[in-house]
Amino acid sequence: MIPMIDWLIFASLLLAIGAYGVLTAKNAILVLMSIEVMLNAANISLVTFSAYSSQLHTYTDSMGQVFVLASMTVAAAEVAVGLAIFLVLYKRYGSIDVTKVNILRW
Amino acid sequence: MMIEYAWLIPLFPLVAFLIISVVPQKLLIREGGAPWIIGASTASFVLSVLVIIDVLSGQTLTGGDAPSITWFSVGSFDLTFGIWVDQLTAVMLLVVSLIGTLVVIYSVGYMHDEGKRKRRYYAEIALFIGVMFGLVLADNYLEMFIFWELVGLCSYLLIGFWHFKPSASSAAKRAFIVTRVGDIMLLSGLIILLKFVGTLDFATLFAFNPATGEGSLAAAGMSPGIATLAMILLFGGAIGKSAQFPLHEWLPDAMEGPSTVSALIHAATMVNAGVYLVARSFPLLVQTPDALVFIAIIGGITAIIAASNALVANDIKRVLAYSTVSQLGYMMLALGAGGLIIATFMLDEHQEGLGVGYSAGIFHLMNHAFFKALLFLGAGSVLHVIGTNDMRRMGGLGKTMKITSFTMLIASLSIAGIPPFSGFWSKDEVLATTFHAFEDAGSYNMVFLILWIIAVATAFMTAFYMFRMWFMTFAGKRKSDTHIHESPRIMTAPLMILAALAIFSGFSFFTGQGFFAFLSESITGIPAGVAVEAVNPLEALGHIFASPLTYASLIVSIIGLFTAYTIYYKGTWSVARLATGTAGKMQRLLANRYYISWFYDAFAYNIVYGFSVLVDLFDIYVIDGAINGAAWISRKSGAVMRRAQTGFVQNYIAVILLGTCLLIIFMIITAEWGGG
Repeated sequence: MIPMIDWLIFASLLLAIGAYGVLTAKNAILVLMSIEVMLNAANISLVTFSAYSSQLHTYTDSMGQVFVLASMTVAAAEVAVGLAIFLVLYKRYGSIDVTKVNILRW
Repeated sequence: MMIEYAWLIPLFPLVAFLIISVVPQKLLIREGGAPWIIGASTASFVLSVLVIIDVLSGQTLTGGDAPSITWFSVGSFDLTFGIWVDQLTAVMLLVVSLIGTLVVIYSVGYMHDEGKRKRRYYAEIALFIGVMFGLVLADNYLEMFIFWELVGLCSYLLIGFWHFKPSASSAAKRAFIVTRVGDIMLLSGLIILLKFVGTLDFATLFAFNPATGEGSLAAAGMSPGIATLAMILLFGGAIGKSAQFPLHEWLPDAMEGPSTVSALIHAATMVNAGVYLVARSFPLLVQTPDALVFIAIIGGITAIIAASNALVANDIKRVLAYSTVSQLGYMMLALGAGGLIIATFMLDEHQEGLGVGYSAGIFHLMNHAFFKALLFLGAGSVLHVIGTNDMRRMGGLGKTMKITSFTMLIASLSIAGIPPFSGFWSKDEVLATTFHAFEDAGSYNMVFLILWIIAVATAFMTAFYMFRMWFMTFAGKRKSDTHIHESPRIMTAPLMILAALAIFSGFSFFTGQGFFAFLSESITGIPAGVAVEAVNPLEALGHIFASPLTYASLIVSIIGLFTAYTIYYKGTWSVARLATGTAGKMQRLLANRYYISWFYDAFAYNIVYGFSVLVDLFDIYVIDGAINGAAWISRKSGAVMRRAQTGFVQNYIAVILLGTCLLIIFMIITAEWGGG
């Protein structure tokens, strides 16, 4: 059986990659995709804890898997909202470059 | 059996005050509510008389058996409202209730033309009389102080009754502020007492046994210096309230109020409070002889300074005001000298009649209250008719205003100390006490010799200025052509009652056991030697007229009277010629009131204003500087910090990530150490 730590390292790497994407991407869609990656990193760690929970308890705690289902649903909704925002952005600025959207500043 | 109900006495006028000030104008029967206060003060007077009858039969309410209520408790300190009725209270109750009642009756005539403002007047008068009753009935110093301040407030309101006149409103402010100086001293003295003794109840404070030293200030841990300081501070309250030097200048200015208010302030309420305070504090004062000498000296200085100022005043009420200040000085002198005699001899078992000085002071207070109320109401009657205060524009009023002029003559004879009028008896006792202190007071005897000479000189001046006033006002030729008529009956009736009192109140010295034997019992805690023996009228009379001292004061008074007669009636010496040369210089000095007012102004301007400027600078540069500095720092740091708001979402995310990472690192480190 693959040790639990490996799954967690994998999730951390995925989180780091997503964070890098959020911080560096100029294209809004890329930013959104990176966020999805980070979300899935979290999902992986949740599933991991759920799957390995029988090592701690006498039973398997399936709560983590239920959470993941819920978070995936939310992520789908989030994408719909995000894409709608990008459409509006595009209408207004003619691009979806996040570095150009900086009117909320000093 | 009415003595337990003495607490009702202040309530009648206070209820009248509430009714007059709260009930709508239309429902007040008439005259702005005058019937209410007349009824209330009459009820107080009747109850006072019943209480006095009880006191005369030997009952007193002092200490634990008196009804009292607790207002609040702080730690071990209880503020209680109780009553304390002894012989001194009885005398004060008589003075306040009788004069208060007569003044409000007189007011109906005097204030008749005031219109709607009458309501305000009667409400304030009711409060004034009520709180004065509260003051004399209080059974602890704090309760007394509360009423003391309320008396000050009422006098402020009433002196400034015609507040649309600038002079009246400034006189009111002056009275309030100057007496406040004294009040602060009184409060400081009380704080010292409270700190050492732990209570301000008379019952505890006055439980002093000179033989064993029990209950004395020294037993409470006060060194002689601290005790003297506390007593002088206590007397400071009386300096303000009873217009003693150097805080006496507010009283002559207080003439801006209606004459009725002056009568009340001078005779019944305000200024008597200070004398009452000193008399009430006697069991404490006799433990600090130095403070008593201080009181006597201040009294003597006040007596002569005020009397000399009265010599040249041209305003009839101002003459009377100065004479009040001067007579209050007499009372303080008697109390100081009498207290010193007690302090010197209280351990001597063979002494008797030590309470003479104390009784003389209060005797003079009572007699003075009656004739001074009469003088002010008489002056009010004159003003009511002629419409000016200036005696130079009066003259010849005696022919038309027969009752006023005759009653005023009686009062003038009384205050000048001509027998058999009341002022003679009490003034003679005041002078005798001072002389007695000179003979017996040991190291202070020269001080008291000087004070006695001052007091005799004051007696001369008193006779002179009173008859100067009388001759200028009522005798000689008419100087104005205003239509003159006698005042209405409602005003002359109180004058006649007071005139009777001005004649007969002095005879209380002889009636029954005698006023002094009655009153001296009220010096609580001091043993039997203080009590004055009951007098045999003839013997006492013989004693007074056998003494050469009596003739000294009598002769100077008569000289004073005839000097006034010569100058202001016969015109032998021209008034105009007296206003030149050295005499003129003296007159100008007196007319400028020894520049004491000027000194107040200079003090206020240079010291108080200078200090204010310093405070202002401190405010501008330090306080404002601190505030502006804080604002400047916020503004500048804001200018720097706002650059963090770049508007780039990714910057914010980076900061959040960084913060999260730092938090995680922190948690790991602490978990390592904590688990360590």
